[in-house]
Amino acid sequence: MGLLSIIRKIKRKEKEMRILMVGLDNSGKTTIVLKINGEDTGVISPTLGFNIKTIKYHKYSLNIWDIGGQKTIRSYWRNYFEQTDGLVWVVDSSDIRRLDDCRAELHNLLKEERLAGASLLVFANKQDIQGALKPSEIAKVLNLEAMDGSRHWQIVGCSAHTGEGLLQGFDWLVQDIASRIYVLE
Amino acid sequence: MEPEPDHTKPSTSAAAAGHRKHLAMLERLSKRAAAPAPSQDSPVAAFLSRFAAAKLAAESALSACRSSPDDAQPSLSAAAAAIDDLDRLVAEASHSLPPYELRSALAAASDLRAAHRLAASDLRPKKSFSFRNKSKAPKNPPQDPPPTLPPPPDQPNPSVEAILPGLGFRGRRDATLVKDLRVSDEKDGDFTLADLVSCQVYLKGKCRALHVHKLKDCRVFVGAVFGSVLIEDVERCAFVMAAHQIRIHEATATDFYLRVRSRPIIEDCCGVRFAPHALKYEGIGEDLRDAGLEEETGNWANVDDFKWLRAVQSPNWCLVPEEERLQTIDISDVQEREYDN
Repeated sequence: MGLLSIIRKIKRKEKEMRILMVGLDNSGKTTIVLKINGEDTGVISPTLGFNIKTIKYHKYSLNIWDIGGQKTIRSYWRNYFEQTDGLVWVVDSSDIRRLDDCRAELHNLLKEERLAGASLLVFANKQDIQGALKPSEIAKVLNLEAMDGSRHWQIVGCSAHTGEGLLQGFDWLVQDIASRIYVLE
Repeated sequence: MEPEPDHTKPSTSAAAAGHRKHLAMLERLSKRAAAPAPSQDSPVAAFLSRFAAAKLAAESALSACRSSPDDAQPSLSAAAAAIDDLDRLVAEASHSLPPYELRSALAAASDLRAAHRLAASDLRPKKSFSFRNKSKAPKNPPQDPPPTLPPPPDQPNPSVEAILPGLGFRGRRDATLVKDLRVSDEKDGDFTLADLVSCQVYLKGKCRALHVHKLKDCRVFVGAVFGSVLIEDVERCAFVMAAHQIRIHEATATDFYLRVRSRPIIEDCCGVRFAPHALKYEGIGEDLRDAGLEEETGNWANVDDFKWLRAVQSPNWCLVPEEERLQTIDISDVQEREYDN
């Protein structure tokens, strides 16, 4: 029995999914996690380090790792790559000046072997702000079409402020992961 | 304990010809880049001598490209490398340096960078700066290349500058810029302040997000931001604002008068100071209340420095001493306009 099948077996029993949330600072990662968990998003300090949340989502239990995005701590992202089922890349769609940084960091991340099998959800966040780029525009600037053809990915516009789009995004992500991991159900 | 001779002063090859010295400096610099210098007894003196060396390298490279324009390209890149070195030196030493040395080093580095920019723009006026992904040489070529190769990720992208959106003040010098967000019909949007020099900026009313980039010698007064503020690359400025979140990157010698719901953070900053919010205009109470900012949380003093994750106070920021603080500023009478001073 290979390691992979052992992991699959364990996960099948617990129906757990490990989700890694990353993205530049100020993109709204923590706000998204709190919002989807129904918590107050009124006072959120920039994340120094990381937060972990376990959220029941349909019949699955999502372990969401929300990792701080400040430049100084981006190099620590790699400490969290292991066994990631789903990758959520959060973009501040109103921060047009830093989209080049955003693209560079994302493509860097996608080169990572340990994340090769993870489904990728790109949240084009802050859609409620006037002047934010549309998800299709974000996809273009981030060059998502250029990704390796084997990657399962989806871009979803959302607003962590209003909650719009968050469930749509997570629905896709959870179903995509489930169809890979729990293929026999 | 044997007395330690002062071996940190720069080598006294003053007699050597300028060019030879320059080359020697460059060589020394590149050696140092390859292997970190051993720790010295007096970090400040060591820093100063290394800084002086790097500065000299940058200066002579710059003057070389001015004196021989035909052969300027290599000198220019040498200068850029030397200036990068300077920045790195300062960054590495910023924790151990006394404030004065730090400030003068930063000023010297930024002057040199400006001179370099000038020289570069003189030489190649057409070529505009653009971001690109560094195309890394494939160290581990895939064993099984996929049959259809995806286009390289570093192909030229649709110019981001071309789609820069709406509201903001950009590229002004010596101007007074006033915007009353309450009188515009637009829905909640973001506001951008970018590339301003010696400007006074007054923003009354509320906005959802504020982006600030590349400001020098400016004073900025903002009503209420019921979202986040991102401030990058500011020098010798003062900001007075209220917001839910504030992130400050690469600020030097700048004061912040804040009311903020969460903890403000700084990253790659030095010489920044914090004080409580001090702004007034007719209707600010309502704006603050609508934005959920009526309460003084005291968080203006709870600054997290991402470059100083330790229990002791970061050397990069402090509070503005009470006797130096600005009085509450009343901008009720400032009318919406933009004019050059």
